[in-house]
Amino acid sequence: MLKNRKKRLQKFFIIMLLSAIGASLVLFALNSKLDLFYSPSEMLAADIKPGYRIKLGGMVEIDSIKREGTKVLFVVTDFEVKVPVSFDGIVPDLFKENSGVVVLGFYSDGLFVAEKIFAKHDENYMPPELTRQEPG
Amino acid sequence: MIGEIAHFLALASALGLILALIFNAFFYSVGRHSNQDILSYKLFHQSCLLIFISFGLYIYLAITDDFSISYIANHSNSQLPIFYKITSIWSAHEGSMFLWIVFLTLWSTLFISSLSFKHPLKKGTMLMLTIIILGFLLFLLITSNPFERILPFGVLEGADINPVLQDPALAIHPPLLYLGYVGFVISFSFITAYLFHGDIHYPWEKDIKNWSFVAWIFLTIGITLGSWWAYYELGWGGYWFWDPVENVALMPWLAATAFIHSLFASSKSNILKTWTLFLGILIFALSLFGAFIVRSGIIDSVHSFANDPQRGLYLLGFSGFITLISLGIFAYRLPNMQSSKLIVTGSKESFLSMNNILMLTAIFSIFLGVTYPLILEFINGDKVSIGPPYYNTIFAPLILMTSIFIMISLEALWQRGMQARTLLIAVTPTFVISSLILYFIWYFVQIFSLLAYIGIYSGLLIIISYLLKGAISLKNKTYINKGSFIAHLGLGLLFFAVSMNSILSYQKNINLFLGEQQFINNSITEFKFLDLQNIKASNHDVVSAEIFIVHDGQPIYLNPEKRKYFARGQITSETAIYATALKDTYLTIGDQLDDGSWTFSLQINYFIKWIWFSSALMVIGILMTIFKKKIS
Repeated sequence: MLKNRKKRLQKFFIIMLLSAIGASLVLFALNSKLDLFYSPSEMLAADIKPGYRIKLGGMVEIDSIKREGTKVLFVVTDFEVKVPVSFDGIVPDLFKENSGVVVLGFYSDGLFVAEKIFAKHDENYMPPELTRQEPG
Repeated sequence: MIGEIAHFLALASALGLILALIFNAFFYSVGRHSNQDILSYKLFHQSCLLIFISFGLYIYLAITDDFSISYIANHSNSQLPIFYKITSIWSAHEGSMFLWIVFLTLWSTLFISSLSFKHPLKKGTMLMLTIIILGFLLFLLITSNPFERILPFGVLEGADINPVLQDPALAIHPPLLYLGYVGFVISFSFITAYLFHGDIHYPWEKDIKNWSFVAWIFLTIGITLGSWWAYYELGWGGYWFWDPVENVALMPWLAATAFIHSLFASSKSNILKTWTLFLGILIFALSLFGAFIVRSGIIDSVHSFANDPQRGLYLLGFSGFITLISLGIFAYRLPNMQSSKLIVTGSKESFLSMNNILMLTAIFSIFLGVTYPLILEFINGDKVSIGPPYYNTIFAPLILMTSIFIMISLEALWQRGMQARTLLIAVTPTFVISSLILYFIWYFVQIFSLLAYIGIYSGLLIIISYLLKGAISLKNKTYINKGSFIAHLGLGLLFFAVSMNSILSYQKNINLFLGEQQFINNSITEFKFLDLQNIKASNHDVVSAEIFIVHDGQPIYLNPEKRKYFARGQITSETAIYATALKDTYLTIGDQLDDGSWTFSLQINYFIKWIWFSSALMVIGILMTIFKKKIS
């Protein structure tokens, strides 16, 4: 009886140990693979290292979209600070001036180089933190 | 008027279900099967019927453009073809929830009537199903009423369905997906009733086996259609984005896949029973979790509906409630289920159990990926998103291990261990052949990516081992389970195709004037912008380009389009795809620049067709399994 219980306890600890190792491995993978999300002000305040991939969400500033060959240049703003963004490729259909956008990419030396641009299916979409600050 | 009738029928149905619940609970406590039971069965079925009639009337309202109904006014338009007027019903929260409930009711009433009157679990199953239907019906009526009128006067014209949703594949994707999700309510309720009833020797597996297979088929087709649609409609050239909402569909799928495998072993050897019961409960619990994630708007996703804390709270509470009931009874019965027989190492069951554990690990990792951003934001306010790199890293080793176990278990026997020597002899050819093929792929492609190569190797292990097994059984005329054979070939092909696609596919952005031509690379020697036309269609304007491409010496004409829809002023791109067996030439047109030139995005996507094909193989395999059962 006592032996049985000891055995069970052993089993329990082994299982706990293995699960703990598994969970920490997963968490480790998580931490190196996740992209932090910033608004323009947050991003400038956070001092991002070059080569560190992040997501930036804000509004596309009016009259800021310019094109150079296949490159698209525009400015993302939260009505406080502005971040110039460059993207090589075709922008989503819902990408337009004065509407919400989320870009994924790298920031260095005052320019955000986007790998991907997200615009919502919903044309009324806006990043949640901007709904409060929307003018008018 | 018809709107009010439909609304009234739905309310009446809720009332009928409440009565059925009270009667059923009362007679359940009495215990015997009696004539009073007939009353509660009748009440149940007729309440279900009321829901169907109510939904039928709602479809009628949508077809006849009753824009005094707020939901229809917001999501339909008189200019739409009838087909899209109907599908606009499930293009947003209220209507799609209604459809969800209709399917829930459909599965329930079909399953209950399939059980004989004397079936020991009929009352219990019906009790659970009644609670679930009632819970969701009340959710619909209280928090998301699709019958709401615009008072005092309706609007003259509807706001139109979102143009990207005006597509046949997307129109039938939600219904199929819902049929799959909701179909597992059968196993959930039946297992709960079985555990509640307490006779652990009752062979419950046979009663829900085919129901679970059918639900699995719907879920698989639903997910595949969504992926296919995303590929050709959204113009990103991707088919799976690890978006939270895709993830919450993948979790029940993984659980369901583990479940239908265990179901087979559970009825065969009685050992994996607890596993199977747990998985059966888990699938529907994950479906409910998915409904919560999508409909509460708690996670920002392209699929999610508007943020509504009230709905989220109700769904979370109700889902938690019924999952806890089920898991509670499961935990209560668990001590009785302890089997004196242990699983023999090296038997088929042992490998199946290993794969069950791997499946659960995969589910847990996805769950963590979906919820971690929420937890982190709650703890320290950091906003993060978790993308493909995380999932790829986690899945590569899991897929490799799963594939090895699948390969070995092909040689293993039920309830008997295997000798290391026989195993070695059996699997060595597979390892050798797969390694050789992998080497050849590397030799020709000259691109290396560890994760992709793990995926390719996993796929090859499954494909080669099954092909060898098939060849041997063909030669010796021995038995082989054809359904399983085809389905697993499909799985192997899926791993292979997904990984090959990830290393071979590439994208080029091109900027051209009308009439100009360009050399892209040694494979695409010519890319010429031939023509640009403006066309007027019934509810949108079209800009259509004609492009001539020489791809690997083959001339191809492609017509990518841009459309502007009148009702919402929304712009969509129509991708032009030229498909061969090996690769897709995939072209989207971008914007016109100030200097008059146009941008194009050209993608060469390899093995895309194989992904859809492999999913079709899996479905065919399961269909064969169902069919085989019927004739034997």
